[in-house]
Amino acid sequence: MVKQGYRKVKRMTTAMRIIHWVNALSMIVAIATGLYIAAPYYQSFIADAAVDKYVMAWNRWGHFIVAIIFDVTSIVIAYLYFFSRFEKPYKKVLPTGKNIKEFFEVFINLVTLNRRKNFDSSHADSFNTVYFTIFHLLLAWMLLTGLQLYVHGLASGESSIGTWWPAMLHLFTDWTIPVSHALVGSSSMANLMDVRISHHITMWLIITWIVFHIYYQVWRTIYWEEGDIAIAFGGSKYAKE
Amino acid sequence: MGIDRIESVKKLFTAQSAKVDTNRGDAYYAELYDRCQARLDELKKLKPLNNRRDFLATIEDEGLERRDFLKWASATTAMLMLPASFTPLVAEAATLMNRVPVVWIELSDCAGNSEALLRSDGPKIDEIILDIISLEFHETLQAASGHQAEKQMEEAIEHFKDKYLLFVEGAIPLGMDGQYGTIGAKGETFVDHLKRVSKHAAAIVAVGTCATYGGIPAAAPNPTDAVGVMDVIKGKPLINIPACPANPSNMVGVILHYVLTGQVPELDSLLRPKFAFGYRIHDNCERRAHFDAGEFVEEWGDEGAKNNFCLYKVGCKGPMTFNNCSIIRYNEGVNWPVGVGRGCIGCSEPDFWDKYAYERPMANAHIKAPTGGVEKTVDEFGLGLLTAAGIGIGIHAAASAVAGKKESEKEEA
Repeated sequence: MVKQGYRKVKRMTTAMRIIHWVNALSMIVAIATGLYIAAPYYQSFIADAAVDKYVMAWNRWGHFIVAIIFDVTSIVIAYLYFFSRFEKPYKKVLPTGKNIKEFFEVFINLVTLNRRKNFDSSHADSFNTVYFTIFHLLLAWMLLTGLQLYVHGLASGESSIGTWWPAMLHLFTDWTIPVSHALVGSSSMANLMDVRISHHITMWLIITWIVFHIYYQVWRTIYWEEGDIAIAFGGSKYAKE
Repeated sequence: MGIDRIESVKKLFTAQSAKVDTNRGDAYYAELYDRCQARLDELKKLKPLNNRRDFLATIEDEGLERRDFLKWASATTAMLMLPASFTPLVAEAATLMNRVPVVWIELSDCAGNSEALLRSDGPKIDEIILDIISLEFHETLQAASGHQAEKQMEEAIEHFKDKYLLFVEGAIPLGMDGQYGTIGAKGETFVDHLKRVSKHAAAIVAVGTCATYGGIPAAAPNPTDAVGVMDVIKGKPLINIPACPANPSNMVGVILHYVLTGQVPELDSLLRPKFAFGYRIHDNCERRAHFDAGEFVEEWGDEGAKNNFCLYKVGCKGPMTFNNCSIIRYNEGVNWPVGVGRGCIGCSEPDFWDKYAYERPMANAHIKAPTGGVEKTVDEFGLGLLTAAGIGIGIHAAASAVAGKKESEKEEA
């Protein structure tokens, strides 16, 4: 039943919605376990035998498992950015005149508290797509720095799935050491601690990103009155005829 | 970005990965064996240099048996990641150590590395070997001083031109044209001293964290602009043996490797020998099981400390530190920092004093924020950012509630 004067627009496919919620869940697990790994914030019962606890190991296990899920969804999302048969998000982040205009129109809509709305809100807009792209770049950085921190546990060059895996990780993530140093390093020598600090700061950037993301989607739902929040659940919203 | 930084970035990009190849196949080792044998035969023909003490007689004088020596030889062979068949070669190389001239200079340092190899309670094989190497010059140990010492240095350089190994202990202050550190009767600056002495060295070994990365003299705010040897000397074979102090076993390992093969050992991107710095402390730590179990020392002297629990929460940096002390320990396997119940301070890593040596987990550390200047923790920075975003959102939400126009309201208007 569609309210009169409104039409239903499909905005997220089932696959996109699954990825969205897998990412959301992974994010919560990654933050909870990551904070424990950085500074164990709860204690285990001292009287229990070590073999029954394995608390840090489970936290690390969880952290790595969600990291790998993130890896896979990131690859899928990177693919969909360019080759999706539904909507190709890269078209919305290209700095064309139309996109730049739309980006600022949506931004003005936000800061004028919806007093001005000069764009088509039925499809994915440039502002939101740029915002999502920032998220995926933060996430990619998280994955690369995380894998760099991880690979040093495989110092022998062996892993359960062969020697190609640590070799590949070194090849693809060693460059994060000098880049982290350029970003957060405070002295002359690039080192692994810079990567760790960068990984940690990026977590805060992502948390900040999430807070605004949730706020903005709720705000749109309230002020645009087009049911935007339903996109993430049912896959569609409503647009005025 | 200075030239040096670009250089170090280049190095990191082109470096072989941290992978340690522990088995290169029989053909490789057979060839290496022959090469080492030929080199030792050649060295045997040379006469011992100034230090004529006989190695095997010396270890007996010190109350050790030949059996101890052979045990040491097989342990050192394993440490150098060579097959057991190399043990006789390593033992032979040890007796030929006095054929290799060594010049040892000290710059901005505390002589801690010299102390590490000299002050052991009962000298063990590693220390004895460092006793009998042909040490041609060492400021702390020699009797000569002033002009006499300088003359001795010049003679050593002249006599062993392009043959001596140069050991450097201590950082090099570059600030104020290097005037923060001078040495000798002529008041030569450390940086000039190092450049002059290294010119005709066969290879340079930077011993200890100060010589490697600048270490403690280079800690924030680094008033003397101190750097390590690799930032000053270019185009020479250079081996870094960081740690505070460097482990005498690793010094001996490097010299032995040089005596045995005539080459520097395989190095990582920070020019540290992989046989010693290829592994994280954490992965070979005796308390690792407690880490995995989530059993931590919460505060010094608590029940966990009594039970040898993991020291991560009191600031152990073993998970980020590459060194072999959790395998070979110090003082010929007697003990090491985690073994005595205090965490690793990452002394073999760059910037260890600023970024590793605080007795808290990283999340509670006061590390400089990316903006520099103000000391605050990463988490405070992140929480500040989040708070700013929250305030912004709050203002926007309040403003929307008061003055925002819903689509339906617009229609009504």
